[in-house]
Amino acid sequence: MYRYIIRRILQFIPVLLGVTLFTFVLMRAIPGGPFDFAGDRSLPPQIVANLEAKYHLDWPMWKQFTSYVIGDDIFGWEGGSRGVIRGDFGPSLHFRGQQVSDIIAVTLPVSAQLGFMSLLLGIIIGIPTGIIAALNQNTWIDYISTFGAVFFLSVPNMVLAPILIWIFALKLGWFPVATWGAKPPYLLGFLPRLEQLNADYFSHAVMPVFALGTAMAAGFTRLTRASLLQVIAEDYIRTARAKGLRERVVIGLHALKNSLIPVVTILGPAFATMLTGTFIVESIFGINGMGKHFVNSIGNRDYQVITGVTLIYAFVLVIANLLVDISYAWLDPRIRYD
Amino acid sequence: MRKRLLTLFSVLIVGAMLLSACGTTTETVIETVIVEKEGETIIETVIVEKEVEAEIQPVTLNWNWGTEPPTVDPSLATDTTSVDVAGNLFVGLTKFHPVSGEVSPYLATEWEAGEDADGNQTWTFHLRDDIVWVNYNPVTGETVQEVDADGNPRFVNANDVVYGAKRTVNPETGSDYAYVTYIIKNAEAINGGDEELTLDDLGVVALDDYTVQFTLENPAGYFPAIAGMWIIYAMPEWTINEWGEQWTEAGLIVTSGPYSMESWIHGGELNLVKNPLWVDADKVQIERVEGVMIVEASTSFALYENHELDSVGVPLPEMDRVKADPVLSLEYYSAPTPCTYYYGFTNNKPPFDDVRVRAAFSQAIDRQLLIDNVLKGGQEVATTFAPPGIFGAPVPGTVGLGFDADAANASLQSYLDENGMTIDDFNALDVVLMHNTSEGHARIAAAIQQMWADTLGAEVRVENQEWAVYLSSIQNSSPLADMPHIWRLGWCADYPDENNWIHEVFNADSGANRLRRESGAFDALTVAAAQAQDPAEREALYLEAETMLTEVEAAYAPIYHYTTVAVTKPWLTRNYPPLGANDFFNWTIDFDAKLAAQGQ
Repeated sequence: MYRYIIRRILQFIPVLLGVTLFTFVLMRAIPGGPFDFAGDRSLPPQIVANLEAKYHLDWPMWKQFTSYVIGDDIFGWEGGSRGVIRGDFGPSLHFRGQQVSDIIAVTLPVSAQLGFMSLLLGIIIGIPTGIIAALNQNTWIDYISTFGAVFFLSVPNMVLAPILIWIFALKLGWFPVATWGAKPPYLLGFLPRLEQLNADYFSHAVMPVFALGTAMAAGFTRLTRASLLQVIAEDYIRTARAKGLRERVVIGLHALKNSLIPVVTILGPAFATMLTGTFIVESIFGINGMGKHFVNSIGNRDYQVITGVTLIYAFVLVIANLLVDISYAWLDPRIRYD
Repeated sequence: MRKRLLTLFSVLIVGAMLLSACGTTTETVIETVIVEKEGETIIETVIVEKEVEAEIQPVTLNWNWGTEPPTVDPSLATDTTSVDVAGNLFVGLTKFHPVSGEVSPYLATEWEAGEDADGNQTWTFHLRDDIVWVNYNPVTGETVQEVDADGNPRFVNANDVVYGAKRTVNPETGSDYAYVTYIIKNAEAINGGDEELTLDDLGVVALDDYTVQFTLENPAGYFPAIAGMWIIYAMPEWTINEWGEQWTEAGLIVTSGPYSMESWIHGGELNLVKNPLWVDADKVQIERVEGVMIVEASTSFALYENHELDSVGVPLPEMDRVKADPVLSLEYYSAPTPCTYYYGFTNNKPPFDDVRVRAAFSQAIDRQLLIDNVLKGGQEVATTFAPPGIFGAPVPGTVGLGFDADAANASLQSYLDENGMTIDDFNALDVVLMHNTSEGHARIAAAIQQMWADTLGAEVRVENQEWAVYLSSIQNSSPLADMPHIWRLGWCADYPDENNWIHEVFNADSGANRLRRESGAFDALTVAAAQAQDPAEREALYLEAETMLTEVEAAYAPIYHYTTVAVTKPWLTRNYPPLGANDFFNWTIDFDAKLAAQGQ
C-alpha cells in the first residue's frame, strides 16, 4: 500500500508538469496578448513592447516556460522568477504589482470554506435521501426524492441564487444579501479565525451553501439510489439474507459500503471543483473566491493567473483522486493495490 | 521558526477569546504591520488586541467599486475603477470641474503658456505650497505627515510632479497610458527606448520648489487638461524607491489627496478614510468610504435596496421597474457620460469602399428608436463623434447623418444602379457586422440588423468574437478578407478636447486607422486644429473635420452617447463628474437619516 502511494505521488510530477505546459501553450495560442488593450481600447505597439519586455514576454517560448517552472537564477537569467517548483507563481499581468501566490492566498481559503460546507451539505442530504429512496423503490417517498433531485439538478444556480436573495434577504430579511463573513488573515492560512466563527459568518454562508449544496445533493441522491438498487440485486446480498441476517445488517454492512464506490468516485473531482471556487455562485453572492480567476484571467490574457489557478486545481484533483483510490480498498475488499 | 509563530498565533487567539469573554473594552482587530523576519522586511497582517473607546460611527459612504482595481498606482492606472481610487488618494495639477467639466485649479493655482528659446510651446504651472504628503497608519488609525531625512515635513512640490511624469515615461515602468504624455518633448522617444536620450531630456523641469514647466513637441491648447490626468500626478519618489511595486498597499502608501487608504483586501474591499491634514479638511464631510467589489449588477442593486449601498448603477433588466416605482423613480438619475458608441466601416472593403453605401447604412439606423426600446437609459443620439462637453464638439444635431430612410434608400439605390446590381446581388456580397461578445452589443446589433433589413432591404450577417480576439481581428494589420465590413467600438474621453477624439481615434496617419481610410484633407485638418492657438479657430477646424468624416466621407456611423444611469439614496448628495474620479470629498450624507433607514 505504501509503495503504491509513493508511486502515485511520484506520478504527480509529470502530470502537473503536463498541465502547466498545456495551459501555457494553450493560452499563448489564443490571439491577442495581455497588453494589446487597456479596457475598451487598444494600445500603441511601442507601449505593448515596453510591457512585454517588463514581464519578459519577449523571451522565446522555451525560455519563458523554463523560467516559469524552475526560475531564473539557475541559468543566471535576469528576471526575478523563482519558479513554480519553489512556490513562485509569478506576477499577475492584469493586477499590477500583485503576485499570483498572494491572489491565491486571499481567495482560495474563501472558496475552500464555501466549497467544503457545500460538499458537506450535499453529502449529508444527498446520500441518506438516495438510500431511503432506494429502499422504498417505487413508493411515494422514492417519487418525491427523485422529483426533488431532478428539480435541484435542473434549476441552474444562475436562477436559484438571485431568487434566494430576493426571497430570503430582501423580502424576509433573514440573511445578508451578499459577501462572505471571514476576511484575511485566516487561521492556519485557510480557516476563519475563531472569533469570526459566529452567527454572522454562518448567516452569510447559508444561501451560497444552499445554492451549491442542493445541486450537489441532487447528484448524490440519484447516484446513491441507482448504485444501491444495483448492489441489492447482487448474489452476495441474497446470500446474506439467506444466512438470516437482519435487514439492517444486510443493508448497513454489506450493501451500503459497496454501493458507495460510484459516489466516492465522483467525490474526488467534486471536491476539487468545489474547493477551488465556483464562478457563478461566488459572483452572484459577491464572494471574494478564486472562481472568478478561472474565468476572468482568460479574458484578461493573464497568463500567470490562469496557469496558477489551473495548477492549484490540478493539484487538489490528483490528491483527491489518490484519496478516492485508497478508499476503494476499504470499501471493497476485492480491490488490492499491492 | 514556523512552529514558534504558530504557537504565538494560537496564544494570541486564545488570549483574544479570553479578553472578549471578560467583556472589557479590548477588542481583537486585524492589523497590517511591517516586521523584520529572517533578514527580510515584510508586511504582515496580524491579530492584536486594542483598546477601543466608546464608538462614534464616522460618517460613512457605502460604495461599490464594481471590481478589484487592477492598480491604484497613478502611472499604471487605465480603467475607471483604478482612476477613481487614485483620484481620491492623489492630487493632479488641474482637475475637471465635477459639474461643468471645465479644467479648474487643483494642485496648480494658475498656469500660462509660453515659448522656449527653440520656439517650442511651454506650459508653466504655479503650485500651491500647503498640500502635505501623508501616510495612514492602520495600527494606530492615525494619519501622519511624511518627513524627509532631516525631519522636515514633506509638502507636494514641483519635483514630485517632475518625478511622476518621468516615472510614467520611463519604459521600465511599463505604463499603458504613457502614450498620452507623448505631447511632452522627447516623451515618445524616451518611452520607445531611444538610447541617445535619458529621462533628464524629458520636457519637464522644476523651475523652483513650487513652479513646474512642461515643454511640448507641438503647441497644444488642451495641455492643461492633460496636466490633470493621473499619469502625471505628483508621486512620492522616496516611498516608491523603498517599497517597489508594493508601495500601493495599505499601510505603505503615501498619498496627497483628500482621502487615505485605510485597508485593501484584494478582490474583496478597499476602504478610504478622510485625510485630516488635507487643506480643505473642514469641508470634507464624508469620513470613510467603505468600498466593496461586487461585480454582479443585480447583487449590487439588491444591496442598494437593502440600504447597504448608497448609490449604484441600474442593471438593464431593472430599468422599467425603477422608472415605474414611486420611490425608486425619484432616486433615479441619468447623467451624460463623454463616451460614444459607434459602428466603424472598413473603408477599403467593397461594397463599403463606396461612400453611398456607407452613408446609406448610417442613415438607416433609427438611433432614437434604438435608445427608447433597447438601451432605455436616456442615451443621446449621436451624429458626430465627440459628445457635448468636449471642447470643439459640434452642437448636437447640426452636423452628421441622422436617421433618414428616404435618403438612405436613395443613396444605396444610386450605388446599385451605377453598378447594375439589384439588392439581391448586394446581399450576395455577404456583408458582416461584427461585435465583441456581450449580451448588450448583441441586442444592439440585432436591432440595427433589423433596421437595415426593413429600411434598405439589406441583409447583414452578425458575428461576435471574444474581446481580445476581436481587437486583433479588426486591427489595421489584419488581412482584409478577415476584416468584417462593419464593426463596433466605443470611445471615452481621457481629457475633454476634440484632439482626444477625432484626431487620436480616426487620424489615418497617427491613429490605429481601423477604418482603413486613405489619408487626406481630414487628416491635415485635425493636425492643424491641434496646433492652432486661437480657441475659436480650433473650434472651427474641428467642426470642419467632424463634418468631413461623418457627412462627406461617412467613414463610420456614430450611434449614441453614453449615460451613467444610477439610483442614489435620498440621504446622499452627490454629483456625477463627467471625467476623472468621483470626488467623494464634495459629497455629503445626512448620516442620521441613513442610520434611521438602516434601523440603527
